[in-house]
Amino acid sequence: MQKSNLFFRSLFIIAVFLLMLIAGIIYRQLQMVKNSSKLVMHTYEVNLKMEQLFSAVKDAEASQRGYIITGETLYLDPYFTSLNNVKNYYNELKFMTADNLIQQQNLEKLNDLINTRFKLLSETLKLHIAGHNNDSLNSLLLKGENVMSDIRIHIHTMTQIENGLLDMRQKENDNQRSITPIIFLIVILFSLCIFILSYYQINEDANRLVKLNSNLLITNKIFEHAEEIACMSHWQWDLTTNKLTYSDNQYRLLGLEPQSIDLSLKAFSEFVHPDDRNILLERSKLAIKVGESPSAPYYFRVIRKDGELRYFKAIGKLTSDLHGNKILIGVTIDVTDQHLSELNLEEKNKELERSNAELESFNYLASHDLQEPIRKIQTFISRIIEKEKDHISESALDYFSRMQLSAHRMQKLIEYLLMYSRTNRTDQIFEYSDLNKLLDHAKQELSLAIEEKNATIISSPLPAIKVIPAQIQQLFINLISNSLKYSKDKVAPVININSEIVDSKDITELKNEPGRKYHKISVTDNGMGFEQEYAESIFLLFHRLHERSEFSGSGIGLSICKKIVENHLGFISAEGRPGEGATFNIYLLAS
Amino acid sequence: MTINHPQSFSVILADDDEDDRLFFREAIQDLNINASLVVVNDGTQLMSYLNRNDTILPKLIFLDINMPGKNGIKILQDIRHTDLLKELPVAIYSTSTSPKDVKSALDNGADVYIKKPSDYDGLKKILSKAILSNWRTKSSINTKDNFVLSL
Repeated sequence: MQKSNLFFRSLFIIAVFLLMLIAGIIYRQLQMVKNSSKLVMHTYEVNLKMEQLFSAVKDAEASQRGYIITGETLYLDPYFTSLNNVKNYYNELKFMTADNLIQQQNLEKLNDLINTRFKLLSETLKLHIAGHNNDSLNSLLLKGENVMSDIRIHIHTMTQIENGLLDMRQKENDNQRSITPIIFLIVILFSLCIFILSYYQINEDANRLVKLNSNLLITNKIFEHAEEIACMSHWQWDLTTNKLTYSDNQYRLLGLEPQSIDLSLKAFSEFVHPDDRNILLERSKLAIKVGESPSAPYYFRVIRKDGELRYFKAIGKLTSDLHGNKILIGVTIDVTDQHLSELNLEEKNKELERSNAELESFNYLASHDLQEPIRKIQTFISRIIEKEKDHISESALDYFSRMQLSAHRMQKLIEYLLMYSRTNRTDQIFEYSDLNKLLDHAKQELSLAIEEKNATIISSPLPAIKVIPAQIQQLFINLISNSLKYSKDKVAPVININSEIVDSKDITELKNEPGRKYHKISVTDNGMGFEQEYAESIFLLFHRLHERSEFSGSGIGLSICKKIVENHLGFISAEGRPGEGATFNIYLLAS
Repeated sequence: MTINHPQSFSVILADDDEDDRLFFREAIQDLNINASLVVVNDGTQLMSYLNRNDTILPKLIFLDINMPGKNGIKILQDIRHTDLLKELPVAIYSTSTSPKDVKSALDNGADVYIKKPSDYDGLKKILSKAILSNWRTKSSINTKDNFVLSL
């Protein structure tokens, strides 16, 4: 915009300059016309003067003749007058032809001739007065006549010269005359062009302005609506003049009609909650005094005109206007909704913490107080069986061993429940662990059962991943013990553990995750297997596929496995082949 | 209460539970180890016994965690902070398997953590292993791996 402004300014200056130039040309043109007219006039005047001169000479001659004829001195008066006139006319002519060298020379010659003529005239007069005889008089008259015709001829020549000049000058005058209107026309056309261009430009500018203005109006409208929708307002505070202006919505936020009252700082603070007023005023004072404003937002409560309590958030920023005055501009937002939901969230969090704490104490309770009696029952029963087996009946012994079984199951249940509830994510540390080591520990823990069943565990090298070591170890324990438990009758269990890296897009269950790599660890056994239709339900808590009496499981083991894998943001799935075996696939994130 | 055997060393049990004390005593008896057993009911009794001038310091102390008054961990701390007692081998003997308790025991200087077994045979085996081992020698390294005693 600046550039085109400069462009048009310079264009305007050039146009004005051109116009002045043309005005100059016109002026010169007019002057030239005037001058050529003057020159034409001049030649006429010169010619006239020469005629006058000639007639003056003739007057002198005529009067002399008259005197000679009549002898009356009356006739001599014009003679002397003409003598004077001739002198005057001659001088005038000399002045008038001052610029023409040739004419000046001619004039000199004419002067000589005239002087000669007058000399002759005066001689003739002298002769006549002296009364001389006719012959000398006649010869003088004749001489005089000759000179006269010389004069006549000479004047004619001079007149011719002047006429020649006249022609030339008239031609010139005509030329000038005819050029002038053309120049006028050109000037008019040029001015017209400039006017049209200017009009065009102004029109365009006006259109653009109108368009910009309407855009501005629309933007303003949108802006105002946006403020209303967002429950915010903007304000500016000229720190020098202490003038505070709010946008319309600020009034609405306070429950007022826009611009209905003078909302000075004091008036505004009347709406602020009494406890928060001080901070507001202090911050304002700071801004005025130091010309600084903390850029952090501050929160305060407001009581609307209708009495409702709202929470406001205000942020200010210092800037300066064109004159360098400090202006504080800012926005105020009604954050009541956010605030309330924050409070709600805090409440819920507190509740969660409370129930978590309750859960933890329950854990502790189960950990000690539930297990104690069970343990003691079991120990006492085993003591009785050992010490008194010779003194107890068969059926009593049988009852005791059933009691033992029940107690044992209860203990295991409590253990697993504890494990399940302890298997959480929040206060566990993830660390890089070699899965092979964790597998070895798991095997160690199950060494008794492995030996009993004569089981073989073959594993390919497993990766090192960032995990919760204890949980992964438990995972292995649960899966292996599962495979051992559900082995085929009289067939030694063989468990294969393999690992590979897969892409999430290749796994149906992980398709939703953006392209990430997973470690797929599969635990395959040659046990009884299961129907594939139960592949998902086996992971449910307490879900069992077989009668309780057949297998001693608690129904929790696999649920714990699922929970552990989920803690690691992974996935577990199972494949069952009835009579052949089962495979459990664990997917863990590869970092 | 002490058992009068010709002894070469003594073992102390501090446990507030009567049944557990019964099991323990019977198990030690059945093991026929050449050790005398001292049983106390709580932490305070233990400390006062240990601080008696005429006490011969035991080879191993079995310390329950959940006892009235000062719990086992606090007693363990006291023992480790008493000059005369700080080198005594201490086994934490508890029902709890919570990792918090195990860590607390390890951090406060226990030599081994024993989970109370739920059958008599198991009890005998584990007590025998614990008593016959030599804790706190330069060669016995206490790592997290074998801190919890297993059979």
